[in-house]
Amino acid sequence: MSPFRSTRRSARLAAIGILAAGALILTACGGSSEPQTTSTGKADPKAGLTVGLVLEPTNLDIRHTSGAALEQILVDNIYEGLVTRTQDNKIEDRLAKSHEISPDGLTYTFTLNEGIAFHDGTALTSADVVSSYETVKSDATVQGNAEFAGVTAITAPDPTTVQITLAKPDQNFLFNLTGPAGLVFKTGDTTDLKTAENGTGPFTLQRWAKGSSITFSRNDDYWGKKAGLAEVTFQYIPDFTAGVNAALDGSVDVLTAVDPNLVSQLKDSGDFTITTGRTTDKATLAFNNAKAPLNDKRVREALRLAVDHEALVEAVGAGQPLYGPIPELDPGYEDLSKLVPYDPDKAKALLKEAGVEKLDLSLTIPSFYGTTVAQVLVSDYAKIGVSLEVDRVEFATWLEDVYKNHDYELSFVLHVEPRDFSNWANPEYYFGYDNKQVQDLYAQSQAELDPEKSADLLAQAARIVSEDDAADWLYNGATLTALTAGVKGFPKDSINSRIDLAGVTKTAG
Amino acid sequence: MLRYALTRGVLLIAGLLVSSVIIFFTLRVFPGDVAQLIAGTQASPEQVEAIRQSLGLDKPLLAQYTDWIGGILHGDLGTSQLSGASVGAELAEKARVTWPLALMSMTIAMLIAAPFGVLSAMLRGRAGGTALSVAAQAVAAIPVIWAGMMLVVVFAHWLGWLPAQGFPRTGWSTPAKAFESLLLPAMTIGIVEGAMLMRFVRSATLQAAGQDFVRTAAAKGLTRRQALIRHGIPAVGLSIVTVLGVQVAGIIVGSVVVEQLFTLPGIGRMLVADVGTRDLVKVQSELLVLTGFVLVIGFLVDLVHHAIDPRQREEAG
Repeated sequence: MSPFRSTRRSARLAAIGILAAGALILTACGGSSEPQTTSTGKADPKAGLTVGLVLEPTNLDIRHTSGAALEQILVDNIYEGLVTRTQDNKIEDRLAKSHEISPDGLTYTFTLNEGIAFHDGTALTSADVVSSYETVKSDATVQGNAEFAGVTAITAPDPTTVQITLAKPDQNFLFNLTGPAGLVFKTGDTTDLKTAENGTGPFTLQRWAKGSSITFSRNDDYWGKKAGLAEVTFQYIPDFTAGVNAALDGSVDVLTAVDPNLVSQLKDSGDFTITTGRTTDKATLAFNNAKAPLNDKRVREALRLAVDHEALVEAVGAGQPLYGPIPELDPGYEDLSKLVPYDPDKAKALLKEAGVEKLDLSLTIPSFYGTTVAQVLVSDYAKIGVSLEVDRVEFATWLEDVYKNHDYELSFVLHVEPRDFSNWANPEYYFGYDNKQVQDLYAQSQAELDPEKSADLLAQAARIVSEDDAADWLYNGATLTALTAGVKGFPKDSINSRIDLAGVTKTAG
Repeated sequence: MLRYALTRGVLLIAGLLVSSVIIFFTLRVFPGDVAQLIAGTQASPEQVEAIRQSLGLDKPLLAQYTDWIGGILHGDLGTSQLSGASVGAELAEKARVTWPLALMSMTIAMLIAAPFGVLSAMLRGRAGGTALSVAAQAVAAIPVIWAGMMLVVVFAHWLGWLPAQGFPRTGWSTPAKAFESLLLPAMTIGIVEGAMLMRFVRSATLQAAGQDFVRTAAAKGLTRRQALIRHGIPAVGLSIVTVLGVQVAGIIVGSVVVEQLFTLPGIGRMLVADVGTRDLVKVQSELLVLTGFVLVIGFLVDLVHHAIDPRQREEAG
């Protein structure tokens, strides 16, 4: 254990007594009163918006660095790919005007929009797309390299056409292009991507005050519809209480990732609309399937039956129960709640049957997830005779011990990536879950050309994973956003992984 | 004097070298590395390996160590493996918070320790002196983090005089605001360190009171108290200088905790974040700079001590 422990949460105490007067607006959480942009006509094109975010990126090189902190602000705002995804994870053309997939599912043909230019003024052509994607394919240090493993050729038949050929059909390929792997960079660019950018998006990077904020300006030469804001500042506030205070004193117009325990302060002030957005965050309680006694399905099932999922969601404060590996926003989702009723008695019986009435287990959990989940698990498990030792570690330690070395019994992290079912079809992944049937079904779903049929196959596979009790999915996270009056068109869903600002406006004053 | 300074200087350099070895190799014991963090939870082992290679993490440890030390000998503290930014530049920037904080803490500690220490020595054997001693014992035992939280409750929440956390975005271009935001953190460290220092001042004063030269002065007609103040206190000052050298280390450790608690963008908070992301090149350079700082202070204290203490001067010839 490192001697340097984060004490981020200890500043919580600052939450004491903030009583704001004002009308109680009971705008129901999650009410989709999504106002359409420009409907009022009062939107101020000169307006600047300040958005409070939690996690600051360590550098801006989205090609080489993983993490939602980068994708969240850079994709679609600064950088663009041929295709992108909407808030509810549907694929949409972006730099491409249209795309076409050959009937055998092997050739993807993209036609580019006209007049696209990089921020330095150079026109974007299909050659830039080819060089960008060639790099992803050939350089293992670039994000998405593995996703391009099946690509056999990337060509530019003419300046506005790009053709990509795959060795075999891949249902996920187009979706992968909506992520960092699909972004287009200028051929031979010498920009230092860690601190600067040369994208094609509706915003340009104005300045980055490290440790504090990042500011974007509107790109007035944007090839498509111009952004509705002149300037956007992302203010990084790692402490949740400090974030709420910043919203209350007006230093941010929008606060993302509001702590559910603190949201009432913002609601009570009457100055904010709170939206509840869906995410693909899967709060995953992993069981080390390869290790005794967790290699016994009866033990794993007992551990799931012992958890009161509804109560846990309530304790966490936001989100909904999730009983399988695929969340609602991804293809292949199915309500599997019937598989895991809350039944501690049956759990006890199962443990007895498995011959482990008294069981000591350890839970490895990165410390920044707070204490709620671990507390609930400890008390739920105590009721079935399982004593849980909670091992709170730094994230880097979790990556080493759990992710890399598979040295754990139970682990908790939020898997936030969309469409990441493949981990259940990979026996090398830290879950240690090895089921031939699931692997076959997943392979079929990827090879299937019809998206509907592919989703059906995924759903079948996901059901088996849940029936095998390969893990427990404690909940599907939700994200709360507080908006001051006058802010319109701010995205609601999936904003922990992407905040498309192009349609956001703010009224004057 | 020169010979003395030279010997101490050689010791200082040896100390720095040994520290660099300890820092470098103990950091390598930490589980996890920066490549894994950059790659995230969707990367294959091959991708992680490729990143490790691109960062030079696959080189033998000894080569990594000599690369690092070689750079430092040329005045280059290296670059962050994560952000590519210069470590020296970032340290200089964060020092704008941490050094003022350390200085303010030290001042507060002295302001508490000197008067109360001497007073409690003078009141020895009386109720007031005992009370002061007990109070000092108690305060010195308070964990810095708890002291900080109590101060926040009183001065930020109840009285509303000082900000509970944060440092102005405008920095020292708004000096009053910056000073204000450092006051509670400095008090937190200063009170705890001051209480520790006070016990030392007390015993040094008592010791001085028993010294021949104080007794001689008293015999020559001064009252005991006058003798102590005229001749004893300067001797006490000397001992305090020595302890202050040691105290610097305590204040730096305190600032790591306090910067977390008050979310101050200083060296301590940066250090904790960098350990979290396993940005080891940065961590080791930061630690070496801090260690070097403590060692240099100790070195200077030795020199000053040597220069002003008549007894040491005579011994050294």
